[in-house]
Amino acid sequence: MYALEIANVSKNYGDFQALDQIDFVVEEGSFVGLLGVNGAGKTTLISSIAGINKFRGKIKVMGYDVIRDVVKAKRCLGVVPQELAYDPFLTVYQTLKFQSGLYGVKNNQSWLDEVINRLYLRDKVNSTTRNLSGGMKRRLMVAQALVHKPPVIILDEPTAGVDVELRKSLWEFIVELNKDGHTILLTTHYLEEVEKLCNKIIMIHKGKIIAQSSKADLINQAGNLPTMVEIETINGEITDELSNWLVFREGNLFTFKLDSSDQLLSILSLLKLANIKIENISIKHPSLEDIFINYVHG
Amino acid sequence: MQSFIHLVKREVYRFMSIWIQTIIAPVSTSILYQVIFGSQLSSLVVKSSHVQYSAFLIPGLVMLQVIRNAFGNGSSSLIQSKYSGSIIFVLMAPISPFAMFSGYVIGSVIRGLVVGVAVFFSICWFGGGCIPRDIWIALYFLFCGAAIAGGLGVICGMLADKFEQLNGLESFLLIPLIYLAGVFFSPHNFSGIWRVLAYMDPFLYIIDGFRYGFIPHASTNIYFGACFVLFLAVVVNTTGYLLFKKGIRIKH
Repeated sequence: MYALEIANVSKNYGDFQALDQIDFVVEEGSFVGLLGVNGAGKTTLISSIAGINKFRGKIKVMGYDVIRDVVKAKRCLGVVPQELAYDPFLTVYQTLKFQSGLYGVKNNQSWLDEVINRLYLRDKVNSTTRNLSGGMKRRLMVAQALVHKPPVIILDEPTAGVDVELRKSLWEFIVELNKDGHTILLTTHYLEEVEKLCNKIIMIHKGKIIAQSSKADLINQAGNLPTMVEIETINGEITDELSNWLVFREGNLFTFKLDSSDQLLSILSLLKLANIKIENISIKHPSLEDIFINYVHG
Repeated sequence: MQSFIHLVKREVYRFMSIWIQTIIAPVSTSILYQVIFGSQLSSLVVKSSHVQYSAFLIPGLVMLQVIRNAFGNGSSSLIQSKYSGSIIFVLMAPISPFAMFSGYVIGSVIRGLVVGVAVFFSICWFGGGCIPRDIWIALYFLFCGAAIAGGLGVICGMLADKFEQLNGLESFLLIPLIYLAGVFFSPHNFSGIWRVLAYMDPFLYIIDGFRYGFIPHASTNIYFGACFVLFLAVVVNTTGYLLFKKGIRIKH
């Protein structure tokens, strides 16, 4: 059984096609990154999975159809929405208790305590939500999504506005949950988070899937992408022969775009022949960001 | 079921956490009405039923606040949830649209009843007692009135985009309709077009029926009124449920 099955899902807002035949599965226990630029359709897809959006096609959560078995499907799902959302009348603790009640969960005090502690909400547990900072509100939303210990957790940009230290602790907690068997679907603009955490990556652009693969396969594909080399010369000179590879210059620092590693040797040889001394050299291999940009811009 | 109970509890907690605004304010307004109108006009006798004006006024004031507060609870809860975004946590929860809609309406009915009871005892204490003649008739119209107003409030909160729209609706439609429905005077006292309008006003049948549970005075046929308010309660709440199920203006 798959944790998530998305089959031919399409969604229109009037004439605008937000999702176009989206099709993928997420294995149980995996950590999947859903990448896309703003307006790509990520949140529309998540809202469809959460049962908020109407759509064409079929979506199953832990085998339950989100239309036919909506209640069972929703019980298996915990979603952290992208937009900050909070009930201004409730305290942090009341929010979590109320959320537990909405999911029909009783006697989850020890789990609530763990979530509160792991998300560093202990000091604010009796504060009303309207008095929380943006980062605190974001953490409370994560806690709300976890109160019923859902097997599938969807995080729609959960670290936006959260400081570095707390971001780190949040990921430690999420990774632990993943190791315990929870399936995670993550969207974020911090691609290094996806690179570090996810074992499968799905790229979506203009409502269509443009790539879906394991992280390893995707990184292997990076071998076809150009490598960037930065060379800083002492006197700020280079030979004309190098201009074919030159893409950028800032003072004495030259950035070259290489299609293969052999070309680096050619550049170094030409510099040596011209008796140009090198101050510094750095090689930048293609990152997930480069791969993503390459897919998005063709 | 537990999800539904929690939704109702949250709704009750919401209005109880601002009890000065939601309970004390309508009580003090009603006491003022009773002091100004009831006491000053206490010598008047309602011709058709030969009861004192203050006894006529008390059920009207109670129902005025029941309708206003039941409506206000549903509408404010929905629009605040939309503004703060917190409605998404309810929409994502494993609750059926029926339970969700019912939760909001029952929360509104409870607020209407709590305020109604508080207003009743307060103004009785200030302005003399008013004992129900037939508690079941009074309760029937009280519940139906609160259910109609609660359902309307949830629908309006769902459809409204701004708080101003709700304020405008309450100021320019709801309050005039309630006042026209015989809170202070019997519609027999109106003439011409106002009398016609008063009898077309659905709130008249709620207030009149509720008042009939206290004093032997009815401006309308009480049996017709009982059927009509039940019909209204069913129509309003069915419409609200269907809108809620479609997620009009609450889902993406």
